[in-house]
Amino acid sequence: MKKIIEIENLFKSFDNNHVLKGVDLDILESEVVSIVGESGSGKSTLLRCINRLETFDDGNIFFNGKSILSLDVNELRMQIGMVFQQFNLFNNLNVLKNCTIGLTKVLKKNKNEANQIALKMLEVVGMDNFINANVNSLSGGQKQRVAIARALCLNPKVILFDEPTSALDPKNVNEVLHVMSNLAKQGMTMIIVTHEMNFARNVSDKVVFMDEGIIVEMGSPNQIFDNPKNPQTKKFLQY
Amino acid sequence: MLKDMWSIIQEFGSLFLKGVGVTLSLAIFGTLIGLFIALIFSIIRVQKPLKTDSRFTKILKRIGSGFVKFYVTIFRGTPMIVQAVIFFYSFYEMGIRWSPFSAGLFTVSLNTAAYLTEVLRGGIQSVDPGQEEAARSIGMSNVKAFTFIVFPQAIKNSFASIGNELIVNIKDTAVLSTIMVFDLFYVARSAAGKYYLYVEAMLIAAIIYLVLTYTFSKLLQLIEKKLGVEPKGIVSSN
Repeated sequence: MKKIIEIENLFKSFDNNHVLKGVDLDILESEVVSIVGESGSGKSTLLRCINRLETFDDGNIFFNGKSILSLDVNELRMQIGMVFQQFNLFNNLNVLKNCTIGLTKVLKKNKNEANQIALKMLEVVGMDNFINANVNSLSGGQKQRVAIARALCLNPKVILFDEPTSALDPKNVNEVLHVMSNLAKQGMTMIIVTHEMNFARNVSDKVVFMDEGIIVEMGSPNQIFDNPKNPQTKKFLQY
Repeated sequence: MLKDMWSIIQEFGSLFLKGVGVTLSLAIFGTLIGLFIALIFSIIRVQKPLKTDSRFTKILKRIGSGFVKFYVTIFRGTPMIVQAVIFFYSFYEMGIRWSPFSAGLFTVSLNTAAYLTEVLRGGIQSVDPGQEEAARSIGMSNVKAFTFIVFPQAIKNSFASIGNELIVNIKDTAVLSTIMVFDLFYVARSAAGKYYLYVEAMLIAAIIYLVLTYTFSKLLQLIEKKLGVEPKGIVSSN
């Protein structure tokens, strides 16, 4: 399979705090990659560098063979969707408009076409019965499903998930993971920063363990979870 | 006292009505013009130089933000009555013959702009940064993210304070009688001076001011309810 994202020797610091210290990672098309590790290990920063929500200091990231720095940032973000831990649904818009605004204001689609696409994506995540709902009236799981639909509307090539279930209670976690599993089955390329080890084991093609800004170990879920080679990985997985 | 008040109303009734018209015009148009200026100023005020900005943009942002801070400090730090007198007479001395009403409207607008700039700045900064980030993550430019996502929420957050500014302006325009603006207070003062009935004339003015502010408060509450604006947030500091 073709490489869709290549991360080469990536460095990132916040003042004197070195968050990424030379990360190399390739993501293939239709691959599901879970990034695990302790809080502060640089997982989220790595994810945010991929769609340029963060700048990086050194190294490079390539999307479809082109450096992301040479691409128009807004076009890059249309192709690399993002789902946030805190959902970040637009509070001033209802469920449907949360999904159509990118289509109408960014992709310049007309209202009817945008509505059709949004309805289809809301159906995919099981939220098509809530199109007129105020987003603040939804449960956490529902909000996250709308956020996934919002990202899907732009027909991205890759979706980045930044701890999508960390702010949810157990019941809501399952409904979001169910939607993500379906997306994985449909061949969506996904990079997921997560603490859901069972999900990472069951859905991922590749698991990456990060610690203190470097990739300590990566491999298939079986390799990482059943037979970790690095002592740090073993220690992390014991908890 | 009531008899005296009644005789004042009989003689000055139509003038009081005219005064009400002037007071409301100054308050409503002054608030609207001030709001328009404040919209622009608040956007300039919240600009911060970014790592990715060019040197020119960084300098421009610093100058813009500094200018707005200076403007707000001057207009919030001096009484409106003093501003009105300075504007009215200094323009006169420069040979610009403008009516007291124009000078009054100019003063109210600039004064309101200073207060509402701070109100809107607070409104913009109270919007969760994740909102803008999410907008940027779906490919919106900074301008689109601000226009379609951040700004509507900032206005909603600030609505109560903007309404409050209108109520304050209905009362505070009374100081413009100093530059001979023919407003409600000016009429009351004229009526009081004619018969030496100060308490009676001012009681009439007070009742009219109260009716006006109460009516507008209720109207604003209705609008807030319709817009679903929660009565939280930033309260005007004047």
